[in-house]
Amino acid sequence: MNSEPIIRIERVHKSFGHVRAVVDVSMEILPGEVVVIIGPSGGGKSTLLRCINRLETIDKGRIVVDGHSVTETDSINQVRAEIGMVFQLFNLFPHLTALQNITLAQRVVRRRKQKEAEEIAHKQLAKVGIGEKWDSYPSQLSGGQQQRVAIARALAMDPKIMLFDEPTSALDPEMIKGVLDVMLDLAKEGMTMVVVSHEMGFVRAAADRVVLLDQGSIVEVTTPERLFAAPEEERTRQFLSQILH
Amino acid sequence: MRTPATEAAGVRRGRALPIPWESIPWWAVILAIVGLTVGWSVLTSEEYLTVIRFVMDGVRLTLQVTFISYLIALIVGLLFGLMRVSENPVFYAASTLYVEVLRGIPLLVIILYVGFVITPRIRGATNGRIDLQGLPSAVLGIAICYAAYMAEVYRGGIESIERGQMEAARSLGMNYLQAMRHVILPQAIRRILPPLGNNFIAMLKDSSLMAVIALPDLLQMGRLYVSRTFRAFEGYNTVALLYLVMTLFLSLLVRVVERRAAIE
Repeated sequence: MNSEPIIRIERVHKSFGHVRAVVDVSMEILPGEVVVIIGPSGGGKSTLLRCINRLETIDKGRIVVDGHSVTETDSINQVRAEIGMVFQLFNLFPHLTALQNITLAQRVVRRRKQKEAEEIAHKQLAKVGIGEKWDSYPSQLSGGQQQRVAIARALAMDPKIMLFDEPTSALDPEMIKGVLDVMLDLAKEGMTMVVVSHEMGFVRAAADRVVLLDQGSIVEVTTPERLFAAPEEERTRQFLSQILH
Repeated sequence: MRTPATEAAGVRRGRALPIPWESIPWWAVILAIVGLTVGWSVLTSEEYLTVIRFVMDGVRLTLQVTFISYLIALIVGLLFGLMRVSENPVFYAASTLYVEVLRGIPLLVIILYVGFVITPRIRGATNGRIDLQGLPSAVLGIAICYAAYMAEVYRGGIESIERGQMEAARSLGMNYLQAMRHVILPQAIRRILPPLGNNFIAMLKDSSLMAVIALPDLLQMGRLYVSRTFRAFEGYNTVALLYLVMTLFLSLLVRVVERRAAIE
């Protein structure tokens, strides 16, 4: 495995007005690694994730993805095409069918032919387990199915990295497993993943590293085994006791 | 066999048997009755037929100006609407200035201004090569005014689309314009179909203002008829009726378009 980090976050700061969302965060993520970011709400997890593909611009520091400086590049759209993102509220395009949701960016950004894009879309839909739903509009799908379409949409662009922003927190409990299974498969295939989530089952099963973010700063970087057995920091113990009840 | 389901259906059918008074569109019924009465007396009266024949060319011009102006306002309004939501300060300032100025001046004044100030100036400056006299100056006046209203309609529609839509599109690598074109606008336009349709109808009525620059539209022809015959009653009845028929037809058309968009 290539041991050059595919994501380098260097001393990143980000504020919203007077609120400091991310404070001096540095981190390196290797290709194929699965990093889960946990922490209390308002701790800066989502903001940090959104900085990686420049949905948020940073105030200070540098983020380098696959050799491109996200913060300085002129071709952010090319960089973004390499970074898939999955949102808490799915953000599917409601006026398009599942299939069209997946083919749109392939055609517009990757310049693939309609037929090729559709073949890839069908393949991705089958992979996330809802191949038969290709002709449904988002409003006709359950939350779990919508989120799986959203994952398929991101994967169809052949990204090198996948970002997940609380992908299961808007789902009904019985929908969560289907989405997590898709993410687990993806992790097993060696996809580089950065995941903001409190699904401890996923952390245990797939995470290589866990990062605890609180008040915009990294409190602790650890492995799942050590996280559950003996967290080093008091703040981590406190946080775990609150979510593992 | 009587299952609870068939029983319930029976009850529902039983209750639906009497005429559903609440669901009848009474305004349409009244309008139809009045329309038929008026239409009958108009079409059987030689007097009214004379007026209608006299103003028919005016109807054509009214429709012509309305459709052309609407098409232009749709496109120009979209451009200004996009500039209104742009992060580029020059685009934003220019479009805001345009909208505020044009919305603040009555359409009647704009039409007079285009007809008696801008048109002669352009003719003078180009030695008569560009002459907007007539239909073009009416279209120009109405279109630039309505473009300002439409720009605000477009802006409202675009801003009503959740932020996550733009973020999702951008995260897939689309640039701003691609995201606008393929993701935001198709949704926004569906939402603003009702106000866009209303503007169409309002524009048809407002086109009567072109009569002030002596264009022979429906109103102007009606006035001409009245001034020749001194029959104001029949003359303006006919003008009002013809406008009403056109707007009703348009509002029907708008409903059909809205319903089709909703089904999609």
